[in-house]
Amino acid sequence: MRSYIIRRLLALIPVLIGISLCIFLILQLIPGDVISGLLGIEENPELRAQLEKKFGLDQPLFKQYWDWISKVLRGDFGRSFRTDKEIFPEIMSRFKITAQLTFMAAFISCLIGIPLGILSALKRNTWIDGIIRVIALLGVSVPGFASATLLILFLSLAFQYYSPVGYVGFFENPSINMQIMILPSIILGTSMSGSVMRMTRSSVLEILRQDFIKTIRAKGAPEKVIIFKHALKNGLIPIITLVGMQIGSLLGGAVVTEQIFSIPGLGLMTLTAINQRDYPVIQGCVLFIAFIYVMINLLVDILYTYVDPRITYK
Amino acid sequence: MKAKKVLSFISLLLIMAIALTACGENKQSTLNDQPEQSEETPAGGSETSQGAPAQILKYATDSEPIGLDPHTITAAASIRIFRQIYNTLVDVDDNMNFIPELAESWKQPDDLTYIFKLKEGVKFHNGREMVAEDVKYSFERVLDPEVAAIGKSYYDMIDTMEVVDNYTIKFTLKEPFAPFLTNLTSLYGAIVPKEVIEENGNLMQVACGTGPFKLKEWIPDNKIILEKNPDYYEEGLPKLDGIEYYVMTDESSRIAAIRTGNVHLIKLPASSISLLEGNKDVVIKPYQSNEYSFLGFNLDLDKFKDVRVRQAISYAVNRQEIIDLVYDGEATVTGFVTPAMGRWAIDYANEDLYKQNIEKAKQLMAEAGYPDGFETKIAVGLYDDIRATGEILQKQLEQIGIKATIENLESGQYVDAWSNRTHEMMAGRNGAGTDPNRAVAFFFSTTGSANVWGYSNPEVDALCNEGKVTVNESEREEIYKDAQERVLNDCPNIFMASPMEYFFVRANIEGFEPSTFNAEKFENIVIK
Repeated sequence: MRSYIIRRLLALIPVLIGISLCIFLILQLIPGDVISGLLGIEENPELRAQLEKKFGLDQPLFKQYWDWISKVLRGDFGRSFRTDKEIFPEIMSRFKITAQLTFMAAFISCLIGIPLGILSALKRNTWIDGIIRVIALLGVSVPGFASATLLILFLSLAFQYYSPVGYVGFFENPSINMQIMILPSIILGTSMSGSVMRMTRSSVLEILRQDFIKTIRAKGAPEKVIIFKHALKNGLIPIITLVGMQIGSLLGGAVVTEQIFSIPGLGLMTLTAINQRDYPVIQGCVLFIAFIYVMINLLVDILYTYVDPRITYK
Repeated sequence: MKAKKVLSFISLLLIMAIALTACGENKQSTLNDQPEQSEETPAGGSETSQGAPAQILKYATDSEPIGLDPHTITAAASIRIFRQIYNTLVDVDDNMNFIPELAESWKQPDDLTYIFKLKEGVKFHNGREMVAEDVKYSFERVLDPEVAAIGKSYYDMIDTMEVVDNYTIKFTLKEPFAPFLTNLTSLYGAIVPKEVIEENGNLMQVACGTGPFKLKEWIPDNKIILEKNPDYYEEGLPKLDGIEYYVMTDESSRIAAIRTGNVHLIKLPASSISLLEGNKDVVIKPYQSNEYSFLGFNLDLDKFKDVRVRQAISYAVNRQEIIDLVYDGEATVTGFVTPAMGRWAIDYANEDLYKQNIEKAKQLMAEAGYPDGFETKIAVGLYDDIRATGEILQKQLEQIGIKATIENLESGQYVDAWSNRTHEMMAGRNGAGTDPNRAVAFFFSTTGSANVWGYSNPEVDALCNEGKVTVNESEREEIYKDAQERVLNDCPNIFMASPMEYFFVRANIEGFEPSTFNAEKFENIVIK
C-alpha cells in the first residue's frame, strides 16, 4: 500500500511538469496580454517596453518558463502582475473557501442523491421511480447558472431575501458564513445529486440482482439490513468514484456559481486572472488545481480499500 | 452499528447547518431602513462613539480593482476606490470650471509658469502634513520612466518644479500647454507621500492620501472597506463613517441585493431600469455620461481607405434607432467631443452626415467602386450596449449592401484587436475626457496613443498642436471645433450615442447627486 502511494506520488511529477508546460504555452497563444489589459487605451510603445522589462516578458520564452518553474519548485509562486500580491498565500486562502463550498455541496448531493437513488431502485418502474428519474434528469441537465439566477430572483421577490453581502469566514462568524454558503451549496449540490441518484439506482439494482442477495434474503435477513448493509455497501464503489470526481472538479473552482454568488473562491480567482491575463496567477492556479485533482483521485483509490477489503494495491 | 454512527453524525451536521442558518435569519446584515435593525449589521454595523448606528455606505460594484496605485492604474474599478482616497491639486466642477482642491489658489504669470499656493494643514492619512515637497515628489514619480506611470504623457511638458516654500510650488513648462490645468485634475497626478512608497515599493496594495476616506481593508474578490478620514481638510465632511465596496460581478445578484436592502447603491445599464422601476425603496439617479459609442475602421484595409465608403456608412447609420433600441431612448447623439463637454462640442445632431440617407450612401458606395457592397466583420466586446449596437449596425448596413458578421470578443481578445489593429470594423465606447485636447489629439492625431485606426490628417495634427499651445479659451474653442468638423468629415470612426448612466440608490440615502464629472462624490451622503 505504502509503495503504491509513493509510486502514485512520483507519477505526479511528470503530470505536473506536463501541465505547467501546457498552461505556459497556451497562455502565450491566447490573444491579448497583461500589458494591453493593464494599460487599456493609454498604451504606447514606451510604456509597453517599460512594463515588459518590469515583468520579465522581454526575455525569451524558455527563459521565462525556467525562471517561473524553478521558483515554483522552491515553493515560490511569484507575485501577481496586476495586484503585486503574493500568489501562493492567496491561492490557499481562496482554496479554503472553495473547499467548504465543495464539501457542503457534496454533502447535500449525497443527502439527496443516495436515498432517492435507493428508493428509485427499490420501486423501479413504478410512478415513484418515474418521478425520481425525472428529477434526476433535471438535476443533470439544468445548468447551475440558470437555477442560481432563478433562485436569487425568487428569494428576493417573494421573500425579500438575499444572502448577506461580503464573504465572511466560517470561524469569523459561522452564522453569516452559513447563510452565504448555503444557497450556492444547494445549487451545486442539487445539480450534482442528479448523477449521484442515477448512479446509486443502477448500482443498487445491479447488486440486488446478484445471487448473494438472494442467499441473504433466503436466510431471512430483514429488508433494511439487505439494502443498507449489503446492497448499498457493495454498490458504493461507483458512487464514491463519481462523488470523488465531482469533488475533484469542484475543488478546482465552481467558477460560475462562485461568480453568481460572489464567493471569493479559487474559481473566481482563476476567472479574474484569466480575464486580466495575469499569467503567473493563472499558471499558479491551474497547477494547484491539477495537483488537487490528482490528489483527490488518489484519495478515492485509497478509499476503495476501506469500502471493499478485497481491493488491495501492491 | 457503524452505519448508525455515520447516520447520526450526518444528521448532527445537518441539524447544525440548519440551526446556524435559522439563527442567522434575523441577524442578517441587511440594511433595513430602520436604525434599530441596522444596529445589528454584523458585516458593517459597528457603532460610533455616540452610540448611533455607524453611517456605512454599502456599494455593490461589478468588478474587482486591480491595484490602488493612482499613478499606474487605469482600470475604472480601481479609480472608483482611489478617487475617495487621493486628491489632486485642481478639480473641475459640473460646468468644467477649475476649482481648488489641494491647491488653494494658483497664478499664471506667463504662458510657461504656474505657481500654486497649497492649502495649509492638509494631512495625509498617516498623520503627516502635505507640503509642497510632496507635490514635487509626486510629479517626479509620475515622470520617472522606471515607474511606468500611465500619466507620464500628461505631464511630460513639465520642465522644472521649484519648491518656493512649504506651501508654494512653481511649475515651469517646456512650451505653452493649454490643457495643463485640466491634466492636473486627473488622478494620474494624485499627490502621494514619499515615505509610504519607499516603505512599500509601490501603492498597489497600500493607500495613503489626503482624501475624505482612507483604506481600511481590501479582501480580493470580496470587499474593500474605506473609513472616514477624521482629519479631512473640508470641515464637517465626509458625513459618512465609511464606505464598503462589495464586488458582485453578477448583475442579477446586484439587483437582488439592492432590492432586499443588503446594499445601498448599485450601478446598472438603462436596459435594467424596468427591473427596479416602481420599487418604492429604490430611487433611480440618472446622469449624463461623458462617453460615446463609436464604430471604428481599420484604415489599412483598401475598402476603408476610401473616405466615400466611410461616409456612406455614416449616412447608412440611423443613430436615433440605436439610441431607442439600445438605450431605451436615454442617450444623446454625439461626436467624439460629447455634449456633456458643453461649449467645446459642435452641434452634431444637425450635421448632414448624421442624417440617415440611404440613397446618398448607395451613391457614395457606387462611386467608390462597391455598388453591391462588400463583406466585412464588426468586432464587439467589453460592454453589453456595444454588443447590442453591433447587431443593429449589422442590420442597418445591410441596406447599402454591406454584409457584416459580428465577432463577439472576450475582453482580452478585444483589447488585443484594439491595440494591434487586427479587426475590420470595431464597435466600442470611449471616454471624451475633460479637455478637447484629449478628445481630439489622443484619439485622432497621427501620433495619438489611442489612434489605433491608422488615421492621419496633417490638418487635424496641425490644429491639435495649435490648440495645445493656444491659451486663449475662445480661440481654442474655434480650433477644436474646426478639428471636430474635419475628423467628422473624414469619418475615421462613426460616432453614435452618449448614454445616460444610472445609479440605483436605496430611498434612505440622502445627499447623493451624481453628475458627469463628479459621479461618485460620496462626502455629503447621509443614511437616514
